Amino acid sequence: MIEIILIALAPIIGGLIYGLERVVRARMQNRKGPPILQPFYDMLKLIDKQAFIVNPYHSILGIMHFVTLWVVVAFVILGQNLLYVVFLHLLSALFLIIAGFSVKSIYSHIGANRELQAMIAYEPILIMTAVGFYMINGSFDISIIRESSPLLLSLPLVFLAFLMIIPIKLKKSPFDATEAHQEIVGGVEIEYSGIFFEFLYMSKWLEYVFIYLLLILFAGNSQILGAVLSVGVFLLVNLVDNSTARIKMKHLIKIVLGIGLTLSMINLIGLSYV
Amino acid sequence: MFDFKPIRKKSPWILHYNAGSCNGCDIEILACLSPKYDIERFGVINTGNPKQSDVFLVTGPVTFRSRERLIELYTQMPEPKVVMAVGSCTCTGGVFRDMYNVEDGLDRYIPVDVYVPGCASSPELIIDGLVKALEILESKTKEIEKPFKLFRNETNKDGVVNRRNSALKVGEEIDDEEN
Ligand code: SF4
Repeated sequence: MIEIILIALAPIIGGLIYGLERVVRARMQNRKGPPILQPFYDMLKLIDKQAFIVNPYHSILGIMHFVTLWVVVAFVILGQNLLYVVFLHLLSALFLIIAGFSVKSIYSHIGANRELQAMIAYEPILIMTAVGFYMINGSFDISIIRESSPLLLSLPLVFLAFLMIIPIKLKKSPFDATEAHQEIVGGVEIEYSGIFFEFLYMSKWLEYVFIYLLLILFAGNSQILGAVLSVGVFLLVNLVDNSTARIKMKHLIKIVLGIGLTLSMINLIGLSYV
Repeated sequence: MFDFKPIRKKSPWILHYNAGSCNGCDIEILACLSPKYDIERFGVINTGNPKQSDVFLVTGPVTFRSRERLIELYTQMPEPKVVMAVGSCTCTGGVFRDMYNVEDGLDRYIPVDVYVPGCASSPELIIDGLVKALEILESKTKEIEKPFKLFRNETNKDGVVNRRNSALKVGEEIDDEEN
């Protein structure tokens, strides 16, 4: 029962995280910042706006991106197979990329291209994480992973690699070249307006829920460690976001694949000898 | 039915366009977003994307070359929207008035809701203007407002729509044969 409620409320929880994050980021910059409920005001306003439809597929793919992402989050909460979750998440990203290529806007094309390149960077690490969980528990089932003792101790390097992909997924500096708000004006988001943009806006919130749910898996059955991890990573990601500049796509792939993949490989090879 | 109108003024997203300004007012607008004045506390985001914004901030006297982009951006913004003319030269032409390449103010092309004077206008004035603009935004309907000077038809060559010179210069007559 509690799972169903959590699944239904997932976008709202994500919205609250996003609102809190905007306040925290503002405080870090010595500003007052918007109210915590700001994302919901934005959402209600977007319902009221006139919507332009560039082509029907573009708008529908945006909605499908949101729906699949919600299904992904539901699967994680229900404790399904982690490998399915990773690949279903890939599908939801693919919908967005196809939507980006379905319009004529050059910014949208560049955004979709960069989204694809970012996928090359983060997807192997997500799979490595899943494999790491499998090597310890002998199962991809999230419900079994949640029962095990804290995995952080045996997967420290995989955890570091996972930390590197969080800014890519949440579109944060230094790895936010996929969205690049001043440079390519949001990339794939650019042609969405009104209620259709709202779905993209809300899928951003679901992305938060997804990433933090995966993060808590590292804590295994220890709830205190889970809470410490999520709060610590939340602050760390925002601190890094505030203090670094955006790097190029090429460097993003090099850094994330070069360092992240190597770290997780070393961890996994080490694990297989223990 | 739920009334969305009071929500509008809680999340104004800004589109900022420089129609040939000297950059003085642009810097003041950026100062508004900086920690000291922090208009993000009103929920303002500088989106840079016309399709998702509510407030159109224009600086500069509208040069001859910038007017088509101006109207293009204006028509790409979904209703309801408000237009703010920031700076003396955007309101009337200011120091650039009567120059050969300048169109003397924004309101000859698109309907303006709030005029913010000053050369350069101070961040306090811009915030005041923004608050005023949000009041107007609340009372707006979703009816489409037309820009004034988008008279000439767009040319359609090889299936590619060309909007070059679609806006007329002030005082210019439409040539019927051309259309
Ligand atoms: S009003 Fe003055 S400072 Fe502002 S853009 Fe015009 S000339 Fe520059």
